[in-house]
Amino acid sequence: MQKTTIDWDGIKNRVNMMQDSLNQKIVLPQEEKHSMFKARAQALAVETKDKTAQNEFVEIVLFGLASETYGVESTFIREVYPLKDYTILPGTPSFVLGIVNVRGQIISVIDLKKFFNLPEKGLGELNKVIIIRNERMEFGILADIIHGTRSLAIEEIQTPPVSTVGIGAGYLKGVTNEHYIILDAQKILDDESIIVNQELV
Amino acid sequence: MRYFNNLSTRTKLLFSFGLIWLLFLVVIIIAYQGLQSITQSEKKLHDVNFQIALELRELRSHQNFNRAAILDMMLTREKSEQLALEKIINERGQAINDIVEKLSKLAMDPLFQNQLKELENEIGVYRQTRKDEILLIQNGKIDDAQRLGTTLQKDRFEKIRSVSTEMGNRASKEAYNQLALDMQHANSAIILFILFGIVTLIFSIAIIMLLNRTIAQPLNEITKIAARIGEGDLDIELQVVERNDEVGILLQSFSSMIKALKRMAASAQKIAAGDLTGSIVPQSEKDILGNAFLQMLNNLRRIMKDIMEGVNLLGSSASEILASTTQVASGSAETATAISETTSTVEEVRQAAQLSSQKASRVSENAQQVAQITQTSQQAVEETISGMKEIQNQMEAVANTIVRLSEQSQQIGGIIALVTDVADQSNLLAVNAAIEAAKAGEQGKGFAVVAQEIKGLAQQSKQATMQVRNILNDVQKATSAAVMATEQTSKSVENGVKQSTQVGVSIQKMADSSSKAVDAATQIVASSQQQVVGMDQIGIAMNNINQAGMENAASMVQAEKAANGLNELGHKLKLLVEQYKV
Repeated sequence: MQKTTIDWDGIKNRVNMMQDSLNQKIVLPQEEKHSMFKARAQALAVETKDKTAQNEFVEIVLFGLASETYGVESTFIREVYPLKDYTILPGTPSFVLGIVNVRGQIISVIDLKKFFNLPEKGLGELNKVIIIRNERMEFGILADIIHGTRSLAIEEIQTPPVSTVGIGAGYLKGVTNEHYIILDAQKILDDESIIVNQELV
Repeated sequence: MRYFNNLSTRTKLLFSFGLIWLLFLVVIIIAYQGLQSITQSEKKLHDVNFQIALELRELRSHQNFNRAAILDMMLTREKSEQLALEKIINERGQAINDIVEKLSKLAMDPLFQNQLKELENEIGVYRQTRKDEILLIQNGKIDDAQRLGTTLQKDRFEKIRSVSTEMGNRASKEAYNQLALDMQHANSAIILFILFGIVTLIFSIAIIMLLNRTIAQPLNEITKIAARIGEGDLDIELQVVERNDEVGILLQSFSSMIKALKRMAASAQKIAAGDLTGSIVPQSEKDILGNAFLQMLNNLRRIMKDIMEGVNLLGSSASEILASTTQVASGSAETATAISETTSTVEEVRQAAQLSSQKASRVSENAQQVAQITQTSQQAVEETISGMKEIQNQMEAVANTIVRLSEQSQQIGGIIALVTDVADQSNLLAVNAAIEAAKAGEQGKGFAVVAQEIKGLAQQSKQATMQVRNILNDVQKATSAAVMATEQTSKSVENGVKQSTQVGVSIQKMADSSSKAVDAATQIVASSQQQVVGMDQIGIAMNNINQAGMENAASMVQAEKAANGLNELGHKLKLLVEQYKV
């Protein structure tokens, strides 16, 4: 049985090289760094352009629900918190997901998908809670994913389409050019139907 | 008579003895009745007639005594004595009255009763007169009394005496008559008794003779016949009497027995004469003699058949033997020529054996060389096996190392999950920072940029972890492939060990067979040498055989003669056996 002899020395060299490279600090190549910085600079440049053109801006937090991207004004947002260790409350309406403990404070969480008749997705570690508040109310909204914050010109927010009906119709503020659905946090917070009155009795 | 003969012996005996007993009973009754009548008349004699006579005698004696007492009274002058006597006389008178009364009860005869009445009257008259007489005596008129006593009273007394005497005589006479009559009765009873006794005796004798004739005589005859049969004499003619009793049945049985015996005897005579044809019919299943005869006949027939067949066979065999001996005689000459041919063949075989001995020794040398070669190759195989085992151990170490590598990749995976989580939290933190910055208004704007940067970094680190995870997946797959390759190699090595072991076993077998070949070759050499010696011995033996052949030819002539004799014997036997009819 004649077999091609294995190049043991070559293999050894390669393994040693790998060992060496692991021991050294991993340094990104110069070109890669450059391209990264360039991209960032471009992104910043776009935003500044927008800001200079328009005067009135509003800070929006963007988050995903089902396949859509929604937005809430950041002035109503206390903070964003990962959904963990939540407790289901029995005897509450179906849109109330449950309650969570945020640093010692008990906050109720509402699932907006129930209002908008959106398809359900299984809850997981990646789900987040956006805690919104005003002077009267404070509760959490369930979000599938947090996209980030964005400054938007007020003009950019257009009135919602006429065809929108259902319970959630009143909660919409408008839709942006990039198809972000902006929610009216003030209305949601003021809505009496969300308040579960049983606890007051 | 015929009916009597037909009765069974028990009935006969019962009948005969019953008759005799009956006659005896009649005799006994007659005797008893005679005796009875005699006894009765005797009793009457004693109780009536003799009693009457005795009473009358007593009466007379009382009368006499009274008369004597009157006379005494006359003689005595004393008053007291007279009174005592009178008293006695009265007592006696009373006794006479008693007797008279007794007599009237005893006899019923009218004549006797009349006489008794007369007597009673006389006694009454006499008593009246006696009273007068006693009165005379008491008054002292003795002479008047004497006169009265010697005349009137004396006549009366005489008359009483004569009447009573006559009565007593009559009673006595009657008793004698009765006695004579009894005598006559007894005599006639004795005559009857004797007569019946004689009749019974005659009758008994007649019955005994009858029984003797009907039972004893035929039995005696049968006994004699049985004795003759016992001696073997079967020439007997038994006249059969038509009787249904035991004797008749015995006679019939004897007759049939004699017939059966005669039939048997006839069969035996036929067999003795040599005629085995025909058959014997046994009387019954229990007929031992008949069955035995039948079996004997069958056996004899079979034996005779066998003997006949044997004789025929003997005859034909004898003629065959004769033919064979002739052939053998001519064959022995051929044998002699064959033997000389065999001798030359033996010499050729001897030379061939020497040649094979030489070849065998060469084979032995070759086999020894083969044995040495196999030993060296066996060592080589053992070394190969140990090398293979070494490889297997190392393969195992390699497999362990790969497994360790796999485990470490898994640890790296865990670290990556941690980093992902950190990146996620950083992202969230950036969002919160942005919100806070927005709340701060104009002063927070710089902070908002920092927050944006942090968000970008978090996203980058997330992407990096994704890449690392992909690489780790590749590494995992490569590790699995390496494990499989190692396993394959290990199996190949195992197969190699197995095959090497088999080769070792084969070589061992080869060594064994070559050593056997060495032994076999040595044995062949030895046996070829023995063969040569044996061939020499065969040559000598062939010479001996030649001589023996000649002797055989001589004895064959004698055998031929013997076969001739045998043939003649067969013929004779055949003639003998043919006398029997089967």
